[in-house]
Amino acid sequence: MATATDPATSSSSTGKRNATRRATAETMATKQRDIAVSEFFAKNKHLLGFDNPRKALLTTVKEAVDNSLDACEEAGIPPEIWVSIDATQSGRFRVSVQDNGPGIVKKQIPLIFGKLLYGSKFHRLRMSRGQQGIGISAAGMNGMLTTGKPVLIVSKLSPKKPLHYFELQIDTKKNQPEIINGKGEGIDIEPGEKGLQFIKGNKIAWENEYPISEQHPVAEEVASGTRVTIELAAVYKRGKGSVDEYLEQTAIANPHVTIHYKDPEGLSRSYHRSTLELPAEAKEIKPHPYGVELGRLMTMLAEDKGATLSGFLCDSFSCVSPSVAKTICDTAKLSPRTKAIKVGQSEADRLYHAIQETRIRPPATDCIVPIGEQLLLKGLKHVVPGTFYAAETRPPGVYRGNPFIVEVALAYGGAPQSQKVTRDALDELLVQSDIRSLRKFLIDAFQGIGGESADRILKEAKIPPRCSPAKLTNDQRAALHEALHEVSISEGQAMTVMRFANRVPLQFQAGACAITQSIINMNWRSYGLTQSRGSLPNGPIAVMVHIASVWVPFTSESKEAVANYPEIEKELRLGLQAVGRKLSMYLRCKQQVAEEEERRSIFLRYLKEVAMSVSEIKGKDQQGLLERLQKVAIKRTSTADIKLDERGKKVEQTLEADDNVIIIAPPT
Amino acid sequence: MAKKRPNTEQEQPEVKLSKQDQKTLDNLCRLADTVIEAAERVRDPFLDIPSRSLSNVKFNRTKKFIEMGKNTNRRHLFNLSQAKAYMQTLLIGSGCTQLIKQGKTTSIRGLYYLLKHTIEGTKEETFNEQSESDPIIEDLEVLSSSLREELHLYADKKGEMVGPLTLIDNGDEIDCSRMGSGGYGIPSIVEPDRVQFKKCTAKFILHVEKNTVWQRFNEDKFWKKQNCILTHGGGQPPRGVRRMLHRLHNELELPVYCLLDNDPWGYYIYSVIKQGSINLAFESARMAIPEARYLGIRSIDFERCELSRNVTIRLNDNDRKRAVQIKKYPWFEGKKKWQQEIDKMLENDFKLEVEALVNRGISFVTETYVPDRLEDQDFLD
Repeated sequence: MATATDPATSSSSTGKRNATRRATAETMATKQRDIAVSEFFAKNKHLLGFDNPRKALLTTVKEAVDNSLDACEEAGIPPEIWVSIDATQSGRFRVSVQDNGPGIVKKQIPLIFGKLLYGSKFHRLRMSRGQQGIGISAAGMNGMLTTGKPVLIVSKLSPKKPLHYFELQIDTKKNQPEIINGKGEGIDIEPGEKGLQFIKGNKIAWENEYPISEQHPVAEEVASGTRVTIELAAVYKRGKGSVDEYLEQTAIANPHVTIHYKDPEGLSRSYHRSTLELPAEAKEIKPHPYGVELGRLMTMLAEDKGATLSGFLCDSFSCVSPSVAKTICDTAKLSPRTKAIKVGQSEADRLYHAIQETRIRPPATDCIVPIGEQLLLKGLKHVVPGTFYAAETRPPGVYRGNPFIVEVALAYGGAPQSQKVTRDALDELLVQSDIRSLRKFLIDAFQGIGGESADRILKEAKIPPRCSPAKLTNDQRAALHEALHEVSISEGQAMTVMRFANRVPLQFQAGACAITQSIINMNWRSYGLTQSRGSLPNGPIAVMVHIASVWVPFTSESKEAVANYPEIEKELRLGLQAVGRKLSMYLRCKQQVAEEEERRSIFLRYLKEVAMSVSEIKGKDQQGLLERLQKVAIKRTSTADIKLDERGKKVEQTLEADDNVIIIAPPT
Repeated sequence: MAKKRPNTEQEQPEVKLSKQDQKTLDNLCRLADTVIEAAERVRDPFLDIPSRSLSNVKFNRTKKFIEMGKNTNRRHLFNLSQAKAYMQTLLIGSGCTQLIKQGKTTSIRGLYYLLKHTIEGTKEETFNEQSESDPIIEDLEVLSSSLREELHLYADKKGEMVGPLTLIDNGDEIDCSRMGSGGYGIPSIVEPDRVQFKKCTAKFILHVEKNTVWQRFNEDKFWKKQNCILTHGGGQPPRGVRRMLHRLHNELELPVYCLLDNDPWGYYIYSVIKQGSINLAFESARMAIPEARYLGIRSIDFERCELSRNVTIRLNDNDRKRAVQIKKYPWFEGKKKWQQEIDKMLENDFKLEVEALVNRGISFVTETYVPDRLEDQDFLD
């Protein structure tokens, strides 16, 4: 290394010069010191999801909303969240998120928002959105580093108690909060009218009343809650990976949540809850024996306070009853009455292997709260348009002793590819085409356009079907482009994948995520969709996958992708296959119905002519005959009919009633 | 209201139906009944249409003409590929009923227009082209065992006639020897109730293939010199012309000689006149003239008449294929001379139209060729 830095001298005298040492162990020691976790993350913001200004905005909103939802659910309050983003100056935004949760006691506020790795969620095995206790304080730190502005917190515990108002900064060197206002103590705002005046006077952001809606028909005070405001350097853009997408997907996975959102352009939007029922409370659990590693097992044994081995196993782990403990001990050739603390290394090794060999029931499911098939369907239907919805909640599985549940929901029949074609692309297609009629061109050029939809499109565009594609005038092309977007036809676009972990949408690193990989690796062709090798299937289809676990294995701290554990992959595959089967049944039914309807429409078309002719010949009543003939036609095309009367009915016969699918009959 | 009633009655005056008309109506009613009956029993209505194809015709060796067999094709209403044809069949039936009830006749093109309309609630037409309705009319003829004229329909008239014959057509007396250069256009319907023969001095009938040849013979007053009736059918003769030939032949006992092109199409025209057509085999009994004779043009005429190469037309693949087909028809199969004739043409590998004789002089055909054949009684059977 030393020679390489000095190329002029390196070739002539290598050995001797090296003798001059640049630093000694002692001098180096003076520079070796603690690294505050805040310092580390201030330098490595990308690890927490602050890689670029656009993502920083999303991460800030996300951390705040996730915390709010966790708090509300833990307190048993149906969450209502206000999110507002305001542009303060060029390249700066003020993000403000308020919830109606229980609030935070005064003493904890500075620590929660001003100290990294401080929280309630790290040390327990319990399903929640947040896991580490880095998120919101890191968001605040990022804001402070980019704009120099403090984090503002308002917290209300009850209508009768004072509001706490803090302006915080983080001392990154010490990883300690610094309170700026109220001489380092924060400010208490007294409840009631006077306090409101104060809030108004000091321009403190706070929503004191619920907006009037179905659930709040009269003005109602927000009894408790927390509001955090962070100003940061950011970029706001809609589309993939945006705040808008995050909130929309959050609404899907959390049908019990109401979100009021005001974007930087001043547009307000609300996602209303479709159920008042909160998800069941997640329970904290002990680790499952299968998930424990040898080292951890030894630590736990050493830490035990003098119980017997049997008692140790029963107390420290979930799903271990005295009889299971006995089986484990027998397999390990250890006495259940041995003191746990006295188990040596080789015995611990035997014990470890005995645990793997013994059949132990999977961890209790009540520690994980799935969204549930019904609510998945509801949530998806609320936000994603479609004609068919199916959902599947898998039984819980275990990876490394952590129970998890995979849920898959699917919506079929959204907006197609032809509606996305740009004007330029369309012009190019038209010019390149050597097909003689425009109708044929539409059928060939766009997947999913059949004869009927081509006719509808051309009718809308007012262009004759036999027109040559290459000879369209500019106006006709514009009309065609518009018609393509106007007329609704299905199929042909790539699948939309929505990933969730513990009800939090995952918006980045789709390629690295076990969920995306499982979808790509599945053969969707056998379920009636088209798919090219190594890519997502095509069709007007959206798939939502939710992994709920006490500890979701993410690939990084920014929580963007789920790691590939074989157990998780297996459950993902089974879940996807289950909804895939339901979809293919639906598609088959749909195709049969379509074919039969086509047949019927052809028959019915001619029946009137037949009836008219017969009555002309016989001079007999036409209407009666027509009705009778229609009856025959309907009987002949009965496949279409069963489903025509009550689509769901027929489908229920093939898809079982408890299969949790929603089928929406198209408007007739 | 009461005042208006006479008006509507005036528009559709009571028509006295002939016995034949009543019979035809009954036949059509029977068709309609099958629909009503099927509908009442909630069954799939269908029509059994006698098949009009080569496989369903039989050559009756004693009668010497083609007869229709018993094969039928079933046409279902509730079958995607047949539904429209079924509807069209009944539609034609209703159109004919209207015609009969109103005592009118119309051309098959007229009927096509009468029934052509857009099907309610769609953009589809009942008939897109006349070529769609024409075969359905023939279906209805066989289906209701009624002839076209009994359905009050006629085809476009095609074919002319001239000669020492006086006839009465729809009450008007027509002298066919005084028809100028145009001739008497043979109507589509020439049934005895429409056309009656009054006086005839002709000795035979010469039927030529088409108008151009006919014009030559008429201009040269061939029919006066030879005392014959001269007809043409504009290519494949329509039913009116065939029926006229049949009546002239049978009622006035005039032999029929045909002067046709020496090619597969000419052979088939002869075959249709003599044995009846495959498509309309059900009408053979009143149309076929088994005693008709083929006068020319013959395959040997190229050498016999010393024609120039310039007037020959090479056979194409289609001609060759057709020639082989015709050669195998049962009514040609047993005739040695015809087999030789067709073989000779295939050997020549060219065809000769009647006009080719112009090579030997404009009136060679009327002054030399046909008189020679008649004198020598040189015909093919």
